[in-house]
Amino acid sequence: MGALGGALIGVVIAIGASTALFFGANWLFDLAVDRWRTFLATSGALVGALIGAVIAGNDVAGGPLWLWAAVCAVVGAAAGIAASVLGTPSKSSRTRLSERGRLVTFLGPSLLFAALGLVIPLIRSIYLSLLDSRAAEWVGLANYGEILTNPNSLDLSGWTEIFTSRLFYAALVLIAVGLGIGMAVGRRRGRTMEALPGSIGPIAIGLFVLSFAVFTTLRGTVINNLWWVVVVTGLSTALGLAAAVLADGVRGESVAKSLIFLPMAISFVGAGIIWRFMYIARPPQKPQTGFLNAIWVWLGSLRPRTGGAWVAVLILALVTVLLAGLCAFGVKRRQTAFAIGAAVTAVPVLWLIYRFLGPGLGGSVPGPTGEPIAGTILFLQEAPFNNVWLMVVLIWIQTGFAMVILSAAIKAVPSELIEAARVDGATERQTFWNVIIPTIIPTITVVATTLIVLVMKVYDIVKVMTAGNFGTQVIANEMWQKAFTELNFGLGSALAVVLFLAVVPAMAFNIRRTQRADA
Amino acid sequence: MKKHRTRSTRLRTSRLLAVVLAFGLIVAACASDDDDDAGEAPAATEAMAEESMDESMDDESMDDDMDEAMDEAMDDESMDDSMDDAMMDLSGTKVTVFGPESSEEEAGAMQDALDVFAAATGIEIVYTGARDFSDQINAQAAGGNPPDIAVFPQPGKVGDFAAENWILAVPDEVQAAIGSQWPAGSLDTVTFGGTLYGVPNKTDLKSIVWYNTEIFESGGYSVPESLTELQILTADMLADGVTPWCVGIESGPATGWPFTDWMEDLVLRVQDENVYDQWVAGDLPFADPRIVGTAEFVLELWNLPGAVYAAGGSIAATPFGDNGEPLVAGDCAMHRQASFFAAFLPEGTSVGPGQTIDVFYFPAVAAKGNRPVLTAGTYVSAFRDAPEVWAVMEFFGSAEYANARQAAQAARQGGGQSGFLSANLNQDLSLYNDLERSFVEILQTASPARFDGSDLMPAAVGAGTFWTEGTSAVNGDKTVAEAFAAIDASWPQ
Repeated sequence: MGALGGALIGVVIAIGASTALFFGANWLFDLAVDRWRTFLATSGALVGALIGAVIAGNDVAGGPLWLWAAVCAVVGAAAGIAASVLGTPSKSSRTRLSERGRLVTFLGPSLLFAALGLVIPLIRSIYLSLLDSRAAEWVGLANYGEILTNPNSLDLSGWTEIFTSRLFYAALVLIAVGLGIGMAVGRRRGRTMEALPGSIGPIAIGLFVLSFAVFTTLRGTVINNLWWVVVVTGLSTALGLAAAVLADGVRGESVAKSLIFLPMAISFVGAGIIWRFMYIARPPQKPQTGFLNAIWVWLGSLRPRTGGAWVAVLILALVTVLLAGLCAFGVKRRQTAFAIGAAVTAVPVLWLIYRFLGPGLGGSVPGPTGEPIAGTILFLQEAPFNNVWLMVVLIWIQTGFAMVILSAAIKAVPSELIEAARVDGATERQTFWNVIIPTIIPTITVVATTLIVLVMKVYDIVKVMTAGNFGTQVIANEMWQKAFTELNFGLGSALAVVLFLAVVPAMAFNIRRTQRADA
Repeated sequence: MKKHRTRSTRLRTSRLLAVVLAFGLIVAACASDDDDDAGEAPAATEAMAEESMDESMDDESMDDDMDEAMDEAMDDESMDDSMDDAMMDLSGTKVTVFGPESSEEEAGAMQDALDVFAAATGIEIVYTGARDFSDQINAQAAGGNPPDIAVFPQPGKVGDFAAENWILAVPDEVQAAIGSQWPAGSLDTVTFGGTLYGVPNKTDLKSIVWYNTEIFESGGYSVPESLTELQILTADMLADGVTPWCVGIESGPATGWPFTDWMEDLVLRVQDENVYDQWVAGDLPFADPRIVGTAEFVLELWNLPGAVYAAGGSIAATPFGDNGEPLVAGDCAMHRQASFFAAFLPEGTSVGPGQTIDVFYFPAVAAKGNRPVLTAGTYVSAFRDAPEVWAVMEFFGSAEYANARQAAQAARQGGGQSGFLSANLNQDLSLYNDLERSFVEILQTASPARFDGSDLMPAAVGAGTFWTEGTSAVNGDKTVAEAFAAIDASWPQ
């Protein structure tokens, strides 16, 4: 209660002081134009009172503060009146003084705070990054060299394995499929390459998978950060866009969007703890308390060709039949994309059926006596994919953000544009891809750049869930660890500067965009 | 024209007012942040202390125990003497103490013991504990916002802080008052360049194994007398289908430290104290085959199929404190952990000779005929030069503190194993139970005794790469050779 009361009093005082400054300064500089002598006397008194307060406050001389302030104010006022005898400047120069005075009074404090809170610490960090761990001796760029050469922060030695990973070949196939579709459709329309969902989709997914192939083989803190940026930015934006489009104009839109937006209200630390419970694994002989491992182990308990598995297969078979029907329906109606979608969805279902009939699915490993026992997934300990499980947390939080912004942008697309497209005979899908998407591209860029900046600085989630162990370290957590756990301020500052430099392009791009939009 | 101007001015005015309002709110938010730091944290601690007091009130006998113990401590004459000096005019002053002990038992007992001194002197003493103390104290000290007194679990860190001139040398008067109360050499670990920077707070005995006596009885196992016997015991248990060990090394930002303890205990045993001292001092690299070999010895033991029960799914994912429950439940038979582990056993566990959980000395190599013991401990150091701060520092070094804390912590543990151990020479050993007296005996018969090595190493290693790289090796992300090469590379030049 005391803290709340104190805070309220603080609010009142702060608002009062700011309001007084606002009206006082406006009044004072109005005086400068209209009544020069009063202006000089008042500003003299103010400056005098300030000097008096500084003298008494710093114990330069004895006596109560109010006395010093009052005496100096009178002296200042007298000096101001005396100065006015010397003459009054021309009206134009008085106006200029008034304008500049306002500028300094209103801009000064914020510039001062920006300098104290941002600019000076930045310069100091850059300076510290060139010193050794105890901030004593000049070491030049050695700290930056350390970041680039330490295998924990950048390890490119495994690059040849990119070309032997399964992900790499999956990516190649997807990109080839996308290019193939694009070129096939393009040839029919007399172009080399046609950009349409059927071609761009596989290529985008292929590039995404390719990035996984790269990021799982090249390791280190810096690589992890890049991986975070690619995956979280990409998936949050894509899922947010999908949610915005699919929920648009549907009944229950607000409920659905609220649910997706809800995780935004949870702090990163809170989300980290929640998801740690989702991922938790217990010894195989104990009941699993983690949600995901409980499901995984339950799946594993459905042995191939047992009662439970047959039930599962039966359900999955029904789903397959349903999907096949949908596919046939699509082919008949010449809805190619619809048919392809149904067919693609059937692939994982068929895979599940295969696992239930054949080798078995889920967490189970042969025990010491050959009898199968539960096998758990150590989501947070098994590198390198533990990184992805951490990213899921941030995607879970940020999808809501992307969805809200993109949804607003979609609703702001002028209906004239859409109607014009309809009149020209565009289908729903063509309207979306060729009218709505190009119109909201600026918003998508803003969402993506904002996310890049946010993801680059990811810290809390990693700190809470793995503390940077098991190959999940990111730059921000490494920075904290180096500077404050290991007391290596040089290296910590260098990491801070690296993070800053990595964020700057995205920030600059974002700000320029906003400025252009305003102008 | 004029009308137009007024309207735009009014618009501008309202906009500016909005900005002013927002600014005011921000200022107020900042102000309330300060309130949080200054007011709420201690208030929360107090509330917690009160709550736990209430809980113990329910149990009248326990309450009596505690009061009695407190009275005993208060009646102590020497205490009254020492308080007369300090009593002068310190009432109304405030001393903040910040440390790593954050469990209700440990932090609560610490506050209880400090309250005894607070009641006698009128100094308001507030203890705050944080699990990630090691990180936080660095940030606080570097940011110029430290507590008055900090409890350091690592003498190496006391040295680091002394080198930064963040902590103050202990004045001669305080040193004279406490110097004779501690065993010879126990202040050496926090003496740097001939100057004393810390006062001992508590001692931990690390070379012990907690075991489930029911499993030992039903399996016909006997307490091993040598390291070889310990290995044979592990193999026997595995053959019988008993999980021998509970191991967990997760500890938030300090994940990995239990592994460093195993390492140190085994370097002392398989190698010797000279190798240990060179290794800790940085004269012997981690990449030395003797050190790498010791780590591989530890990991081979842990990685024997079925040898380790890890409550969190894997050793690296299991919090060190989560090993108490499975040990009592019989999921594993043994757990190597320091004397403070009593505080992590489930409430109501009977501990001691012939009880559910007992302790044996982590055995040495028979052929060497020695009895190496690994110890650790926490030290308090002062950040502020004020009479009340030094009065509290002196109290930390006194037998009265050890007695009051021992009594309070035992009462909070339900009158059983307190988990607190002090090396103070004047303390009242009758406050200890049988098991704890046996700890004191192990400490006294140690040859050689060595302080926890990772706590003596530079922070970049001892509180940095030894933990992180050790965790990588335990988790199988790296081989021991790779991990230890990285530790060597991180050793400050």
